[in-house]
Amino acid sequence: MARYFIRRALSLIPTLFVIVTLSFFLIRLAPGGPFAREKDVPEFILQNLLKRYHMDEPLGKQYLRYLGDILRWDLGPSFRYRDLSVNEIIDKGLPVSMTLGVTSLVLAVVSGIAVGIISALRQNKWPDYVAVSIAVIGISVPLFVMGPILQLFVGMRWKILPMGQWISVHGIKAIILPALTLSFPYFAYIARLSRASILEVLRSDYIRTARAKGLKESMVVWKHVLKGALLPVVTYLGPAFSGIVVGSVVVETTFLIPGIGRPFVQSALNRDYTLIMGEVIVYSVILIFANLVVDLIYGLLDPRISYK
Amino acid sequence: MSEKKEKQAVNEFNQVMKPVSLWADAWKRLRKNKMALISLYIVSFYIIVTLFAPLLTKAGIIYDYREQTISNASLPPSFKPAGQLVIKKLEARIADLERTLEEQKAEEAANGPSGSYGFDFGAVPGTETETADQSAEVDPNLNFSLDFGGHGTDTESSSNPLVRELGYQKEALEKVKTEMNTNPGYQKVYVLGTDDLGRDMLARVIYGGRISILIGIVGTLTAALVGILIGSVSGYVGGWLDNLLMRFVDIMYGLPYMLIVIIIMAMIGEKARGSFVILFVAIALVSWLTIARVVRGQIISLKNSEFVEAARSMGASTPRIIFRHLLPNTLGVIVVFSTLLMPSFIMNESFLSYLGLGVSAPNASWGTLVSEGVRAMEFFTWQLLAPAVAMTLFLFCMNFLGDGLRDALDPQSKNRT
Repeated sequence: MARYFIRRALSLIPTLFVIVTLSFFLIRLAPGGPFAREKDVPEFILQNLLKRYHMDEPLGKQYLRYLGDILRWDLGPSFRYRDLSVNEIIDKGLPVSMTLGVTSLVLAVVSGIAVGIISALRQNKWPDYVAVSIAVIGISVPLFVMGPILQLFVGMRWKILPMGQWISVHGIKAIILPALTLSFPYFAYIARLSRASILEVLRSDYIRTARAKGLKESMVVWKHVLKGALLPVVTYLGPAFSGIVVGSVVVETTFLIPGIGRPFVQSALNRDYTLIMGEVIVYSVILIFANLVVDLIYGLLDPRISYK
Repeated sequence: MSEKKEKQAVNEFNQVMKPVSLWADAWKRLRKNKMALISLYIVSFYIIVTLFAPLLTKAGIIYDYREQTISNASLPPSFKPAGQLVIKKLEARIADLERTLEEQKAEEAANGPSGSYGFDFGAVPGTETETADQSAEVDPNLNFSLDFGGHGTDTESSSNPLVRELGYQKEALEKVKTEMNTNPGYQKVYVLGTDDLGRDMLARVIYGGRISILIGIVGTLTAALVGILIGSVSGYVGGWLDNLLMRFVDIMYGLPYMLIVIIIMAMIGEKARGSFVILFVAIALVSWLTIARVVRGQIISLKNSEFVEAARSMGASTPRIIFRHLLPNTLGVIVVFSTLLMPSFIMNESFLSYLGLGVSAPNASWGTLVSEGVRAMEFFTWQLLAPAVAMTLFLFCMNFLGDGLRDALDPQSKNRT
């Protein structure tokens, strides 16, 4: 197990390396630099600016320098926010984004599984139909439609919850709408997934055996059905988490949440090289480690999988 | 001679027996699934309408999506002609202004003039010449406020703008009433309302859908072609090539691909973004992975079956085996995945457009329309709801259709007749 973990962790290094290299060269090879907008800057100031950010060096040297910096977890100064380093921006935003992401994931998993169980046990009765319809709606409504509509009705018209901004301004209530928005598609997918797999498990032989033994129905469901049926849900946690991480960019923009999502969009619009790179690296590390954790959980739950 | 005949027999077996029975069967099942069938009709309707949108504009059924009628800005959805709505809007505004002025009058009478109005419109009077006769009409009010100005501090500038606006609005109302039957702009009917530049929302939604659906279709086709090619070669040839390709796919899977697309979109800059070809390429480049994996899995499970062995023993070449024998058998899965890929394409494109990184003006996709609607949603809700509902309905139907197709084409199903 430990050896497997180490091997998996080591195999992440090439992926990260590819991400860093790919995004570095994509950004550097694109026409127009980060200072291209400041047209009336005198030549010698431009030269000084380029020197300040080491952009006058040959590309290879810049690349090696950047790799070295990353190994020391120094993501460099931001090009646009002149008095902030990328590390500072990320340190400030990451806890906020992680709070939002983890809340949404937990919400999606708990409510998704609950709805999945209810609708599977009441198959083809009205709770099932309601659940299935909600699930399909959830998969079809994009985040950037769901978010503004919740804002409009719950926040603006009915004034039940704050329309935007974060816990620091509105208290814990501020997290409800963004987390609902962000978790809805994944809640829907998990509900569908767990419904299908519970239905499948309910038809299997070992459930018939459990019932034949005279076990109470609640015991059958909680101890036997769920254990087998939730494996697909665990597999889906990886993609769900990465979806939530990417989706949080939209939700943070919509609800004006001070996470790392908004600086990311801004950096993309401003061509803030170092900030884009830093954000992409942070996001990738989060995603890759989330997938690793999911793999390990999967192994713990399913004794058929052995790690060699 | 005889060899050729046998080849034809194999061909015929594959063509007549297998594919036809599969698709006819799938269609039979799909027809039983009411939701999927309704979805199919709605999706076809969307595609036909958006495809023939320019013809509809020419025929005068829908308005031009670029045509700005400033006088008709931000009208709510209605079947009445625009002129009536404009009149209603102006009347409401005038009533509002008059009420505010009344309140102000009462308040000032009670408290005496207060200096709480911080703004100064002193420079404005006299700049507009065409309203000269109109200001005569509201003179009583004006005189009243000027009277107050005599013994107040800066009351003149505080009540003046409202009174002046009332004058403008009344003038505009008269103008609309007289032009009602002569100005073609006031005869227009906006079923879904108008946006802040007086453009028809219905036309905007249809043309937005045209771009979104186009990106969806072209992107899906590109992704499917690349995925099929790589997946089938990788699955059939196997060995080191398979290993290499699949490791590559693994690494690509590890990439946070929307982030890579965002980088690409940010880097190509605003000018190039106008041509949304790059958007196709950017999204398609990273979304062939799933199809490649699925096709590879199917091919591996099929490549040792008897019919492939038979084809090989008769000397069929590798490309022939892949394209004539293996791929037709995986087509069902490919169709299902492509149907489900398309809504995700449209969502991703709109996601980028919403963030300002996708399709840029003058083109507009559903995502652009939604993000414009969000800015106006407080007062002009329909500007958000029209594109949002249109888009959601389409995605909903595509998902239902994909599910229906999966049920209909399910390769695991045993009770096929």
